[in-house]
Amino acid sequence: MRSIVKKLGIGFIFYLLLVIIFPFLLSNEYYLSVGIVIGLHAIVTVGLCLLMGLAGQISIGQAAFWGIGAYTSAVLSTKYGLPPAIGLLASAIIPGIFAFLLARAIAGLQGYYLAMATLAFGYIVQIGLTEWESVTGGANGMISIPKLQYFGDSELSMYYLIWAVVTCVLIFSLNILKSRVGRAFRAIHKSEIAATTMGIDVRQAKLGAFVLSGMFAGISGGLYAHYMGILDPQPFGLHESIKFITMVVVGGMTSIWGALVGTVLIDSINEMLILLSEYIPGLQGDVDTIVFGAILVFIIMFMPEGLVPRCRAFYEKVKAKKRKAAGSQQAERKTVA
Amino acid sequence: MAELLQYVANGFVGGGIYAIIAVGFVTIYNVSKVINLAQGEFLMLGGMIMVSLIGLHVPYGLAFLLAVTAVTIFGILLQKYVISYVKRATPLSLIILTIGVSILIRGFASLIWGKDAFALEPITSHEPISFGGITIAQQSVWVIAAVLVILLFLWYLMDKTMVGRKIKACSVNTKAARLMGISPGKMAGLAFAISAASGAVAGIVIAPLSVTSYDVGVLLGVKGFSAAILGGLGNPIGAVIAGFLLGLLESLGAGYISSGLKDAIAFIVLIAFLVIKPTGIFGERSVGKGGL
Repeated sequence: MRSIVKKLGIGFIFYLLLVIIFPFLLSNEYYLSVGIVIGLHAIVTVGLCLLMGLAGQISIGQAAFWGIGAYTSAVLSTKYGLPPAIGLLASAIIPGIFAFLLARAIAGLQGYYLAMATLAFGYIVQIGLTEWESVTGGANGMISIPKLQYFGDSELSMYYLIWAVVTCVLIFSLNILKSRVGRAFRAIHKSEIAATTMGIDVRQAKLGAFVLSGMFAGISGGLYAHYMGILDPQPFGLHESIKFITMVVVGGMTSIWGALVGTVLIDSINEMLILLSEYIPGLQGDVDTIVFGAILVFIIMFMPEGLVPRCRAFYEKVKAKKRKAAGSQQAERKTVA
Repeated sequence: MAELLQYVANGFVGGGIYAIIAVGFVTIYNVSKVINLAQGEFLMLGGMIMVSLIGLHVPYGLAFLLAVTAVTIFGILLQKYVISYVKRATPLSLIILTIGVSILIRGFASLIWGKDAFALEPITSHEPISFGGITIAQQSVWVIAAVLVILLFLWYLMDKTMVGRKIKACSVNTKAARLMGISPGKMAGLAFAISAASGAVAGIVIAPLSVTSYDVGVLLGVKGFSAAILGGLGNPIGAVIAGFLLGLLESLGAGYISSGLKDAIAFIVLIAFLVIKPTGIFGERSVGKGGL
């Protein structure tokens, strides 16, 4: 037991406990659904964090992979009657293939060119989902997508299923972070030229980062489709992509935990705003857009490293100060003696 | 044949607007290596302020001047108090910052003006003009005239005046420009002012062609950015040509293939071009790989 704690770290155990007891702390259908949505978003943002924070590649089209995943699973299970398990598997593979093809094509692009290409890809996918009516149902969308019933029909079982996936994705990503691949990603982030001279296949590594983040987004999309039961192309556009970026940036791009914290934070703020707008009817505009825009601007201007790395640095500083204070006290005692 | 001419004429009008936005992107990028993704919001602000002023019975000409001035001041303030304050600016953080600014502006616009669409009276009458088998709105002529005036003015400013030389000096080498007594900060402010003003003019002249609302800036900004990238970032002439090209492509795509796929066609062509030639059709003029 001790070795497991040591291996995973106290933070991870704390996370697991929190995830497990959350439904009992706030045993309410509404909070449970918020928890599920946070979990779905977290799967996407952890992948996006691998791509943006570690490998340093921007993607302003992440919601496209999310959408492809959602529609893949929905179409397979609704139109072709395949079991949702196969649909979910496909919803990881098909977006992965899309990400691979996109990354193959644009692997040579950097900075603003990459941003533009991913932005364009996001638009193309959303338009494609809307226009390909025979398969996706067009702007009207799809209905009666079967629910996942592995552990019963309840909301609670869905919650645990999704957070189990989040945990797997998290462990996988944290392990990547410590591996050769993770080090290669970080080297590319610092300097592609330096990484090349160290013998890293930059193209291959970028491809890997894109495919991984695309697959994560796809899995989340598949789960989203089966959770919601209905789908339309509206949530898979630029707005959602920007929201994913906000989540990653707020928590701290360079930290996987940061992505998770950012997701929880942004989704909670979102829910709070929805509640507030019920009490204050004067808020007719997009208050959430204002809040998220302000958060993005504030973070980039004053805290570009994000919340989690900043808190960690603060904690280290306090610890160092304490140690120093303790050390000087000891030294004083010695001189007195 | 008449059909084709009609599509070309429509594409020319749309393309002109994209060209102005793209030049706005390039002007700012050249001086400060910033891609201002809030560029489209300048157009939105121009159009919406104009609508409000006309609603207050301000004369057309005065309203036009006031709207352009307001947006210009906004652009300068944006550069001075937000963009130039970013620590450790990388393309990644600048993209995120300007996205943040743009959604912030859009949010406030939705609070101020609501989510309804507004119509702006055209400069001259609603009567369309037809010649040689094609029919265009009178306002389209004004759009094209405005586009040409702005482009000519920018060319004159950049190539013939001292201010233009200073801006160019900053884009070639910021440090050397500073040593010559040019303030890069001031030039960056000027670049923001120029692109905000031209964006506002563009936003005002296209508003009567359809309707204007708080969210028209998104797609316009993205299209302008596409044109700037397609033309080779930092290359103003490339940006103008790419802007017109994009407009034509869209209009032809909407006419001959499907109007729903109009935007997708433009973006597919964009990605295809980037795959074939990663630095845009005409190549980059300034150094650096997209700012990295």
